[in-house]
Amino acid sequence: MSDLISIKGGREGLRLRLDDVVDWQVLTDALAQQLAQKSGFFVGARLMLEIGDRTLNDAQMADLLGLMQQHGVLVESLGATARESRDAARASGLAARPLPRYAEPTAPASASEHDGMLVTRTVRSGQVLRHHGNITLIGDVNPGAELIAGGSVVVWGRLRGLVHAGALGNADAVVCALELRPTQLRIAEQITRAPDGAGRLSPETARIEGGRIVVEPWEGSKRG
Amino acid sequence: MARVITITSGKGGVGKTTTTANLGTALAMQGAKVAVIDADIGLRNLDVVMGLENRIVYDLVDVVEGRARLRQALIKDKRLPELCLMPAAQTRDKDAVSPAQMRELTNQLRQEFDYVLIDSPAGIEGGFRNAIAGADEVVIVTTPEVSAVRDADRIVGLVEAAEKGPPFLIVNRIKPRLVNRGEMLSVDDVLELLAISLIGIVPDDETIVTSTNRGEAVVYDQSSLAGRAFLNIARRLAGESVPFMAITDQQSVFERLFGMFARRRS
Repeated sequence: MSDLISIKGGREGLRLRLDDVVDWQVLTDALAQQLAQKSGFFVGARLMLEIGDRTLNDAQMADLLGLMQQHGVLVESLGATARESRDAARASGLAARPLPRYAEPTAPASASEHDGMLVTRTVRSGQVLRHHGNITLIGDVNPGAELIAGGSVVVWGRLRGLVHAGALGNADAVVCALELRPTQLRIAEQITRAPDGAGRLSPETARIEGGRIVVEPWEGSKRG
Repeated sequence: MARVITITSGKGGVGKTTTTANLGTALAMQGAKVAVIDADIGLRNLDVVMGLENRIVYDLVDVVEGRARLRQALIKDKRLPELCLMPAAQTRDKDAVSPAQMRELTNQLRQEFDYVLIDSPAGIEGGFRNAIAGADEVVIVTTPEVSAVRDADRIVGLVEAAEKGPPFLIVNRIKPRLVNRGEMLSVDDVLELLAISLIGIVPDDETIVTSTNRGEAVVYDQSSLAGRAFLNIARRLAGESVPFMAITDQQSVFERLFGMFARRRS
């Protein structure tokens, strides 16, 4: 995402890892910029924040949480190696946990959009799947559900909720589904909605071409 | 071993209370000992639908807060001695009870009854959480309307997250004529979206309105389609395998012939 900030989805949810060496002001500026730029991904997200070796006082902690809240992010817990930082987090009502030292002191562990998450279930109204990489779902996405991915989204089932691929800015991301009838489809900065009326009952792929989202039937043989 | 079953829906007005009253009555008619609990604190209805409103002395909140013993608050049904109602408080709200207290209450009722049916309030907040807290199983009622089905889907997700196992589905107020004309969601449409197991289909039936207003369960009236449907659901809950009634268009032969003509001309 950037050298200073990385986002990673895991079994327990999203983790946002912040560099622990660079000047605090530089870091918060970079964070503010990333949150604003990638709001499609971050608004409504719940995540664990990791600050590594950095020691934060109460005021800095409040600034950090205020910044996250301002961009619609709910911080669920804070991971830090320094006890002072964990105390500051608890003082602001956060759960805090100790963290092993970052392996590479300068750059946070890199998370790639090629990472994938495989889910096998129905994603129902009100439920959100959010991942920094690709999402593969075996099951349906019902209306009122949301899939938000940094990479591409593949749904082996009916996609009828909201889907946002390339939500961290990747315009090469694609969305495909056996039945592609999303209430709204977003790729990177582009937004479209399904045409009214019944859609095709065959697999389709959506991608950005010439600056807008195009949807075409998936025809395996032609791609050969 | 007693079974605690919560009847819920998400959306209001789809027939939770009617369903609870009728399933409770039907199960008691089959000889089971049944308690029905009204968990809709502040907006109680189940007592009215069962015609027991004028017998309420103590309610659920009185029991939870220790002002009454369980036995004192349970109201015996007019006709069936094996059927009891635990009424909700009308002058309090949902915050008067906690999920832990509801679990405690249902566990006490388990000792004495075969079935404990809980009528859940609409919504997904505290009242709903209370209603499912003590449940072993959940039955979701929906009508064939897009908004009701959308809410039911949300509820399925919450029930699954609460680890109550996959819920059962009742599709209420099906109007065969509208379905046949393609103007109403069919049971198959609903099932396709919700993907949970169907336990009953209840046709839209005017006798529900009259029996509800009289405070009498419609399952007593076996000439009523809805009454038969609720009785079938109770038998399925009890583990019997009962085929689904064919919900067909109940128009006269004359109308049907006329319809054929009309179609041929178009």
